[in-house]
This record gives sequence, C-alpha cells and structure tokens, in this order.
Amino acid sequence: MDLAAVNGGVDSDAGVEHGARLLSFAEAVMGSDEDALKRERVALRAVLSPASFVDTCAVIGAFNVVDRIADATGIPLDDMMKMMSAGLPQELELTRFASAANTPGM
Amino acid sequence: MEAIDYSAAGVEVRADLLEAHRDLLEHIRAAGTWWTGAQRIAMVEEARRSLGCRLCQDRKAALSPAHVQGEHDSLGLLPPAAVEVVHRVRTDPARLSRSWFDSIVGAGQLSDGEYVELVAVVALSAGIDFVGCALGVAPVRLPPPLPGEPSRRRPASAKGGTAWVPLIAAEDATGPEADLYPATPMVPNVVRALSLVPDEVRALWRSSNAHYVPLEQIPDPSARRSLDRMQMELVAARVSALNQCFY
Repeated sequence: MDLAAVNGGVDSDAGVEHGARLLSFAEAVMGSDEDALKRERVALRAVLSPASFVDTCAVIGAFNVVDRIADATGIPLDDMMKMMSAGLPQELELTRFASAANTPGM
Repeated sequence: MEAIDYSAAGVEVRADLLEAHRDLLEHIRAAGTWWTGAQRIAMVEEARRSLGCRLCQDRKAALSPAHVQGEHDSLGLLPPAAVEVVHRVRTDPARLSRSWFDSIVGAGQLSDGEYVELVAVVALSAGIDFVGCALGVAPVRLPPPLPGEPSRRRPASAKGGTAWVPLIAAEDATGPEADLYPATPMVPNVVRALSLVPDEVRALWRSSNAHYVPLEQIPDPSARRSLDRMQMELVAARVSALNQCFY
C-alpha cells in the first residue's frame, strides 16, 4: 500500500484493488457535497460487490466512532504502536494534527 | 424497538450490522451509568442538530475554536456543558484540547464519568449515522427513551495518569470488569479509553465487531470481510486522516 494515499491527492489505487474509488468515496462521505457523494457511490457500487460496498460503509462508520473516542479522551499512542510505526507519523506529517499533542514526544 | 430498515439503500445490508445498529440504539435509549435514557437520546438529537449549528461552523472555520464565542444552536434538553461537549465531539473532535477538557470536567461542569458516557453516546451514534450517510439513506429514526435511573456505578480500578480521563488497566480488569478487554497480549488505549464507564466499552465492542473486524482478530492481517484487509485499512486510514485523528 502506498501510505501517502492516507493524506489524499493520490490518483492511483495506492497498491490496493479499487483503491482510488474507495478513497474518493470515503472523501465524499466525509465531505459536504451531496452531488459528489451520489456520484462516488454509483462509481463505487459499479466496481464492488454489494457486500463489499456495505463493508466500506461500515468501516467509514467504525472509524468515525474510534477517532472521536480517541480525540475526546486524550489517549496517547500506545508504546508498542509507537515502536511499530517509528518514523511514519513524521514521514506522513501526521504530527500536524492537534491530537498529536496527546502523545509525548510527538 | 422496531427493526432497522436500510432497504432504501438498494443493497442488502448484512444481518450482523443491522443487529448491531439495533442493539446500539437499544443501549443508547436505556438508562446508562450517569445519564437517563431520555438524556442519552437527547445527546443523539443534539449531535444531529450540531451539524447545522452556526457556532460550530464558525469555530470549525476559525484558526482556533477557543477564539470564537457564542451560543450553540441547541435543543435545550441538556445542560449547557453537555451541549458544548456534544457539539464539539460531533463536529470538530480533532481540535479538542486538554485545556478545553479541563474547562468542562476540571471546572466541575460535568463529572469525568458523565463526560465519558457522553463521548461514548455521541461517538457510537455518529458511527451509525455515517453508515447511513454512506449507504445513502436517511438517518435512523431514534427510538423513544426507556425509563429507569442511571446505575451511578464507578469502577474502583480506574486510575488517572494516562489520558485525560481515568482508565482501567488490563491487569485491573477483574471482577465485574473481567469481560471488558480481549485476551490479547496488549490492550490498546483506544479500547481502554471509555473504561471509566464499562458498559460503554462493551457497546464499543459491539460496534467494532460488526463494523470492522472482531477486536481479537485485528492483529491478524488475514482477518477480513468481503472487502480485503488492505482495502479496509486504506479506507480506515483515509477517514482518520480526514478526521485529523493522530491516534
């Protein structure tokens, strides 16, 4: 997977099957343009099975839950996760997010 | 409670996801640990209202939300501090800060338990609403609240120091909290985040297991659904980046 896709602006599939369509759909759900969302939904459903489309919607829901829980409780990144992702937050410029302040050393 | 109906999406939604949404709404409408069922349903109604709140929109557009003062466009069913938490968690969670938290909980406007339960309800309901939005259906109709009093049970083993709120460490999840965490070598902080209100951790399990992969399977890269794991992680990572969530 091309991790740069996390930050958007990547036109390719990022090394993931139907990655470009998945990213565009996620961005449309998270955005405020209803017409764009309708278009991206149609485009995604054209390439995914119905079950995979539902799974995509479910993952979008899941991470809107955990992101809020993480940011509203001020939890730091776990030590093991810090070790496993060493350098990645900096490489992807994730430290620009205000919630990085909850993890000492970031 | 009536069944969840996503038929307007024009696609079959798997039964376990429908059941999870139904169970989560049943959980939300019942009395919790610190809030009544009526207050918990009001939190979801207020969270939905926050999407059109002018103050929230102005704050989101500002360099710092703290510099924008005003009144929330509120239903008036919850205390002002609770309304502030609901609106901020729903619309701009990325810029919540320790100082903001201290202005709410530290200043005694809400207890830490009330705060955690409120965060849980807003977050869990946001998940349901985002699924609906993605499917292309109207937000689920909220069920009427159930009567009953909050349990007001605070787990003795929750300790401060790691996050803004006290957490139960994995080794301290015993007795009534013995079921809280998976039997994995490491229990990540996001699983412990709501542990000051153990029933909300159980609700989070219910949510995660149906929306993502079961908690104990997360470390297994082969765990998947109809989407493969790489596809799931790509979507998850992009959503979190759009939410500006560092964790």
